[in-house]
Amino acid sequence: MSNNSKVQSNQPASHTLKKLWTFLKKYRVLLILSILLAAVSVVLTLYVPILFGDAIDYITENGVDLQMVVSFLVRAAIIAVIAALLQWLMNVINNRITYETVRDLREKAFLKIENLPLKYIDSHPHGDLVSRVISDVDQLADGLLLGFSQFFTGIATIICTLLFMLSISWKITLIAVVLTPMSLFVAKFLAQSTYNLFKKQSEIRGAQTALIDEMVGGAKTVKAYNYTDRSHDRFKKINDDLTETSSKAIFYSSLVNPSTRFVNAVVYAAVGLAGALSVVAGTVTVGGLTCILSYANQYTKPFNEISGVITELQNAIACAARIFELIEAEPQPSDEGLPELSEVKGNIELKDVSFSYSPDTSLIENFNLNVKAGQRIAIVGPTGCGKTTLINLLMRFYDVDGGSISVEGNDIRDITRHSLRENYGMVLQDTWLKSGTIRDNLKIGKPDSSDEEMIAAAKTTHADSFIRRLPQGYDTPIGEEGGNLSAGQKQLLCITRVMLTKPPMLILDEATSSIDTKTEFRVQRSFEKLMQGKTTFIVAHRLSTIMSADLILVMKDGHIIEQGKHEELLAKHGFYYELYNSQFAH
Amino acid sequence: MRKLLKYFKGYRLQAVCAPLFKIIEVIFELMVPLVVADIIDVGIPAGDKPYIYRMCGILVLFGACGLASTLTAQYFSAKASVGFTGAVRQALFDHIQSLSFTEIDKLGTSTLITRLTSDLNQIQTGVNLTLRLLMRSPVVVIGATVMAFRIDAQAALIFVAVIPILSVVVFGIMLGTIPLYTAVQKKLDAVLLRTKENLTGARVVRAFCMEEEETEDFNEKNNSLAKAQKFVGRISSVMNPMTYAIVNIGIVVLIYTGAVKVSTGVLTQGLVIALYNYMSQILVELVKLANLIISVTKSLACARRVEEVFEIQPSMESGSYTGEKSSDSEYAVELSDVSFRYSGAAADSLENINIKVKNGEKIGIIGSTGSGKTTLVSLVPRFYDATEGYVKVGGVDVRDWDEEALRDNVAVVMQRSSLFSGTIRDNIKFGNENATDDEIMEAIGEAQAENVVEAKPEGLDSMIEQGGKNLSGGQIQRLTIARALVKKPKVLILDDSSSALDFATDAALRKSISNLDYHPTVLTVSQRVSTVMHSDRVLMLEDGVAVGLGTHEELLESCPEYLELYQSQIKNS
Repeated sequence: MSNNSKVQSNQPASHTLKKLWTFLKKYRVLLILSILLAAVSVVLTLYVPILFGDAIDYITENGVDLQMVVSFLVRAAIIAVIAALLQWLMNVINNRITYETVRDLREKAFLKIENLPLKYIDSHPHGDLVSRVISDVDQLADGLLLGFSQFFTGIATIICTLLFMLSISWKITLIAVVLTPMSLFVAKFLAQSTYNLFKKQSEIRGAQTALIDEMVGGAKTVKAYNYTDRSHDRFKKINDDLTETSSKAIFYSSLVNPSTRFVNAVVYAAVGLAGALSVVAGTVTVGGLTCILSYANQYTKPFNEISGVITELQNAIACAARIFELIEAEPQPSDEGLPELSEVKGNIELKDVSFSYSPDTSLIENFNLNVKAGQRIAIVGPTGCGKTTLINLLMRFYDVDGGSISVEGNDIRDITRHSLRENYGMVLQDTWLKSGTIRDNLKIGKPDSSDEEMIAAAKTTHADSFIRRLPQGYDTPIGEEGGNLSAGQKQLLCITRVMLTKPPMLILDEATSSIDTKTEFRVQRSFEKLMQGKTTFIVAHRLSTIMSADLILVMKDGHIIEQGKHEELLAKHGFYYELYNSQFAH
Repeated sequence: MRKLLKYFKGYRLQAVCAPLFKIIEVIFELMVPLVVADIIDVGIPAGDKPYIYRMCGILVLFGACGLASTLTAQYFSAKASVGFTGAVRQALFDHIQSLSFTEIDKLGTSTLITRLTSDLNQIQTGVNLTLRLLMRSPVVVIGATVMAFRIDAQAALIFVAVIPILSVVVFGIMLGTIPLYTAVQKKLDAVLLRTKENLTGARVVRAFCMEEEETEDFNEKNNSLAKAQKFVGRISSVMNPMTYAIVNIGIVVLIYTGAVKVSTGVLTQGLVIALYNYMSQILVELVKLANLIISVTKSLACARRVEEVFEIQPSMESGSYTGEKSSDSEYAVELSDVSFRYSGAAADSLENINIKVKNGEKIGIIGSTGSGKTTLVSLVPRFYDATEGYVKVGGVDVRDWDEEALRDNVAVVMQRSSLFSGTIRDNIKFGNENATDDEIMEAIGEAQAENVVEAKPEGLDSMIEQGGKNLSGGQIQRLTIARALVKKPKVLILDDSSSALDFATDAALRKSISNLDYHPTVLTVSQRVSTVMHSDRVLMLEDGVAVGLGTHEELLESCPEYLELYQSQIKNS
């Protein structure tokens, strides 16, 4: 295994290509067809100038053989049209291969996201994962498309042009072959010398973006402290630097194209000279010369294109590697074949549980807790004390490192995740709603429920009245991240969607902020309705909630440091006592 | 784009010269087929080798002249495009900084950042391409046609026929696919949204066992994206083969016409070849032009986005009072019948607030979240303008104050306020750029932040990461307070800025602030009764309405809401 990964890191590009091939494999017939089409259309494209050359040979001052000219021209026209058709067909096939491969890749990536352990999702920036699925795949698509359409045709063009030129005159061909790589050298030389400038440019850009990020992100502080003049000066300094470096970088890099064009012009002149002399010597016809001149143009072009394509392909492969990193990430252990959890009353037992996010800092150690059906457990502690850790373990978003958690006597690792989670209702502070209508969101946990059931649930949680007042009632679409709803309304929707599923166990997180008093009162009442007769874990912020709990767990810095009833904990004069006096209680 | 053009000032010469030299290059390029024609018509029949050598030398010379003029053009164009973009970037940055809080709230900072970075980069590319290439292609096309006319007017008519057909194909397909590409982009956005949602909502998705439905939904969106992409691809991939076919048919007609003319002695073989070469040049240029236009269209969209920001005018105008003429008002801060509604909000956040704060008085402001505490104190340094009523500082309406002078007099430590990357010294100097190290240490001491500095080996030179990531919440809060104290402000506003401090430190901070020798007026916002109860007076807010104003003892008597809060927080200790 370790051996394997070593090899992988040594030859990343070829490995990535191999993996890419597994996705391309099913289109191999189309791929071969595309290459064939490329080859044939290139041959035809190159044959057209020969026909033109032949036609021109019959146009001389000594007399024009119009019949021959016409017959060559008709042939040229037919072949040009066929070549165009083949090119189009090739493009269509390439499009299909590319976009379907990209679709397959995205499908795989998304499926993986749904099956990744939460640990992976929590520890990777979401923006980065999204950009793998979206922009990296897009860049790969661009690279593939360009690769298919230009790489093959480019190589085919070079080979065929050489052959055709050879058939006309090997001496002139030799000149073209020897001189052309010069343009590549020139391009490479210039690219190397501009590399440092570009590096410097991106460094300055990075510094500038950081400054923009701070000054625009902290615009309010900047204004409050009259810092605008100073930030203007700081920005100006970086901006002037950038302007200077950029104009150099852009100028030097823009030399590549004209310089290669100049080299091509020299090649053209040399070929023209050799050709003209050969015509004078009688080894080549004038038509042959025209033909060679037009080839000399075509022969140099693919070299420039291919060097561009190669950079593009390198980029595409780098992107592909990032996509495969996601696709190949270790999924959560499969629970196929495990029994379903059934007849849940709400008895939960945590036995000698230990858990930590990273091996070097222990969090929960030897934690024991026995919860009877219908009990209410309040979890309290200052913000950032790791209350979500407990939720992570109960819902099996994370697995315990030691000990066990069981529901109705079943270790939760020995039953399917779905059957465990179906028995929990969860309302988090982070009120996540999916984009879709209110109805879609409410029926999330129970898609087959009727509208009557849904409305009944909404009435119980006092959400019905505000939903009715929305422009399209239950069919009102919710924008990205809840869009136009207030924090309290979102909370009510989250409670309602749990109310509809009526699970025997609940995990709740009381909201602390951004709710007006009236809505807060409503949310509070809905919570009460929801909790009736159910085993509940509640991350509590309100005195009344805490006082009514059967057991209070006090957490600090990720550890559970005290547990007991309200009075017992107060009598201890410990952390809970301190906490109680300072922050809770309103 | 038009509004941005003024930033070309200072680069006008370069912006004009770049395309000019480009045209010179094109002219040299257009001469090449004529020289080749001469070789064929004059040099070859006569077997004149020196003539052929000379003409090939001229070809190289034209190449060199072309190179020289291109380089000049590239140089000017790089200067002009980068200089222009730099000027726009600076102006945009300054403009954003001039916006008031209302506009910043409305726009959101993330879009402003993209506009300053990636949008402007795209504009720079677009301007550079435009200066370099946009002139080139039309000149080549027109130039080749003109040359063709010079050779033979009748044959040139074929050009006149082919060019419009080509243009219709190229631009027709391009314009036709633009809306299709927009549709593809929309579908891609939908796929992006699904992906993002399933990452942020991973817990909920799993808690409700929605993995399968979500995957199905994603696959549906993903499929529809692939279909749309293939559809556009099929249409746009018609362009190259079609132009190729058209040009070649054009050449067929051209050679045929040429052949007839040569037979009647009007044209020579070499000239037919020259015509043929011009036709090939046109093909290459039209395709280039189409790609260029796509890129320029993108840049124009970006320019539009940048202009949008420029069009937003700061909604506040600064007054002229600088605080020099001392007013003898006994009140530091007055709010009279003040109501406030956030732009676009449905209800008032503050209603009819009246309070007069004496010089040096300490006021505590308390209320539950969303009761309008932060809004109220934001009106004092004029972050927002009251919708009704007026706010006075030092006896002068804040709308008459010079903005900078006002904020020099009023220091605010904002809720969740953060630090910037740089040393601790830089961060404190943010409040007062002329502060000496002694003054800085004094402010740090007053803010109870000495141990933060002492804990670091480099003291004031210790680096703070962006947003203060390498400090704890309590440390950040104390340094942001020091940043305000170093201004020695007349009015100090602390908006929930000691929430992360433990009780002892909070108490020490309160004491040190009330002992400041310049006796600032202090407005302290908090949710903790213990933080505000020792103030001279306490203002209690509920739903934007003042429900009580008075000393702690008075409020306990007269304000039931305050009493309730007090009992729930303090009674049991």
